[in-house]
Amino acid sequence: MNIITATNIHRTFGEGDVKAHILKGIDLTVATGEFVAIMGKSGAGKSTLMYQLSILDEPSQGGVEIDGVCVSELHENERTAFRLHTLGYVFQNYALVPDLSAEENVMLPLLMRGQTWDQAKQRAHHSLDNVDLSSKYRNLPSTLSGGEQQRVAIARALSGKPKIIFADEPTANLDTVSGTQVIELLTRLHRGSNQTIVMVTHEREYAMSCDRIIHMEDGLVTNIEQLT
Amino acid sequence: MRTLRIGFLLGFRQIQRANFWTTTLIIFVMMLTFLNLIAVSGILIGLIAGSERAVQDQSTGDIIITPLDDEDKILQTETIRRTLDTLTEVSSYSIRYQQGAQVAANYKTRRDFGVEPNVVGARVRGIDPINEEAVTALSDYVVEGEYLNPNEAGYVLIGALNIDRYTDGFADITGSLTDVFPGDSVRITIGEASQEFTVKGIVDAKAGDVASLVYMPEKELRRLSSNSSRDADEIAIRLADKSPETGNAVKAVLLSQNIDDLAKVRTFQEALPKFLTDIKNTFSILGTFIGAVGIIVASITIFIIIFINAISRRQQIGILKGIGIDRKAIAVAYVLQSAVYALTGSLLGVLVTYGILVGYFDRNPIDFPFSDGILVAEPIGTLYRFIILFIITLFAGFIPAWIIVKQNTLNSILGRK
Repeated sequence: MNIITATNIHRTFGEGDVKAHILKGIDLTVATGEFVAIMGKSGAGKSTLMYQLSILDEPSQGGVEIDGVCVSELHENERTAFRLHTLGYVFQNYALVPDLSAEENVMLPLLMRGQTWDQAKQRAHHSLDNVDLSSKYRNLPSTLSGGEQQRVAIARALSGKPKIIFADEPTANLDTVSGTQVIELLTRLHRGSNQTIVMVTHEREYAMSCDRIIHMEDGLVTNIEQLT
Repeated sequence: MRTLRIGFLLGFRQIQRANFWTTTLIIFVMMLTFLNLIAVSGILIGLIAGSERAVQDQSTGDIIITPLDDEDKILQTETIRRTLDTLTEVSSYSIRYQQGAQVAANYKTRRDFGVEPNVVGARVRGIDPINEEAVTALSDYVVEGEYLNPNEAGYVLIGALNIDRYTDGFADITGSLTDVFPGDSVRITIGEASQEFTVKGIVDAKAGDVASLVYMPEKELRRLSSNSSRDADEIAIRLADKSPETGNAVKAVLLSQNIDDLAKVRTFQEALPKFLTDIKNTFSILGTFIGAVGIIVASITIFIIIFINAISRRQQIGILKGIGIDRKAIAVAYVLQSAVYALTGSLLGVLVTYGILVGYFDRNPIDFPFSDGILVAEPIGTLYRFIILFIITLFAGFIPAWIIVKQNTLNSILGRK
């Protein structure tokens, strides 16, 4: 069963002479429980595609359906609520709130969902334990290494038990060891709880852990590589 | 509720982790703004309040009784005196008699009529030195010589405005005595009668006519002016409690006993010269205008601070929205910061105002020619200004935060325009 269905996705930026056509009509599906990598050279449109799929951006043309909801038709507040309840994000630059401790960063979306402080804290500790950060609950992001910050971001994405996790080049700012740890963590989560993950990466080594690799070039899907 | 909770968490942590000196500077600016609101208008009004206080303390007392408009004297002064003796709220009163007079100083040495006479026209106030002292503490304003002794006769106090060394050039306009010092003799003429007195002291004060009068015991004045009537020109009353409420209550008691058929009874506020109340109103408007400018400056300051703060965290705001945090919660975080800056700055301003400035200006009034300026900071006025500053600060914090928060989520995350 497909959890994501993208139909004829176009995305353009600018007007007239400076108009840039980044996505040129992409049709794509992602099955529930699938771990998909989107690969391509710089400028191929892989991040732009992920932003459309993860409803951080709106396509200029075409539509996206996630978990049976036509997200293209949602208003701003509804999109925010949908992201909160259905999706989890791991960004390239970790995207942690610098003023909040590791546990508070993880608690934030849980509190927004209406959990009590104690419930959110308990869940945050559990998520941080899962990414081997049991001793770093109170640490501010600035006192954590890049790999640790990315694991906090993963814990935050996972804590709300989202239906899909979107990871935008999660290893880009990490050294090889930390990058490998993050990919192993995502793979473990996928295999352990059948978590749907869509990951953008430009490193084939990391993409090899996925079920499927979608290759992009110049705004189009050029090849789909089935690994499992 | 959860929006507020998230907003408070984000806002509180931002304040907690912010640079200490930056936060201190912002709060200091807010405190100065608050002081500007309170102190500038407070000192402007305080100039007049100081003058009013001086009139109350040094001249009129808390209640002043004067002749009816169509009478020269207070009727049945003795009846009024007996009434005042029955009122427990009245701590003291001074019955005053007044006459226009001519005071001459060089009449003994002026052999050549080509020499200018050393003469001034002045009003002479006849007082009971003990009662007057109890009401106005007149002896406190004796700047040279001594106060009148009730057991001595033939002495006067001369108001400093009648003496040239105190008038700083105004003597050309008002006329004054030259080279008159305590111990000198002066001749006071009322109508056809003259008598020589010794200057016992010089009186100087800023209130009303205190420094322009000549003072002598009332018996001597009535004898000099051949006035056998006991009906007086003024009765200044000092109350045990100087509050306006007590003043009004005692006035009501006096009116209930029909004293208003014999004389005009006014509280000191009612007896204030109209020009004082006019100036007070003008200064109040001026203070409000300056305060309004202060509020505008404060709101712009907060706007800029929050705008810079929010725009420097634009990417973070985008990410928060990206992970599903309601934009109202994010805006609340910045409004909370504004509120904390305004509250802390204002509270410090209140502490400085009431803990330092009011007391300081009370002990060291600003020396203005017509009054001793104090700082007037009525608690209710301070509260109003605080509420106005607080509400405007909240708006000044909300608007820039909302401008940033409502930007496109992805553009914010990627730092795109």
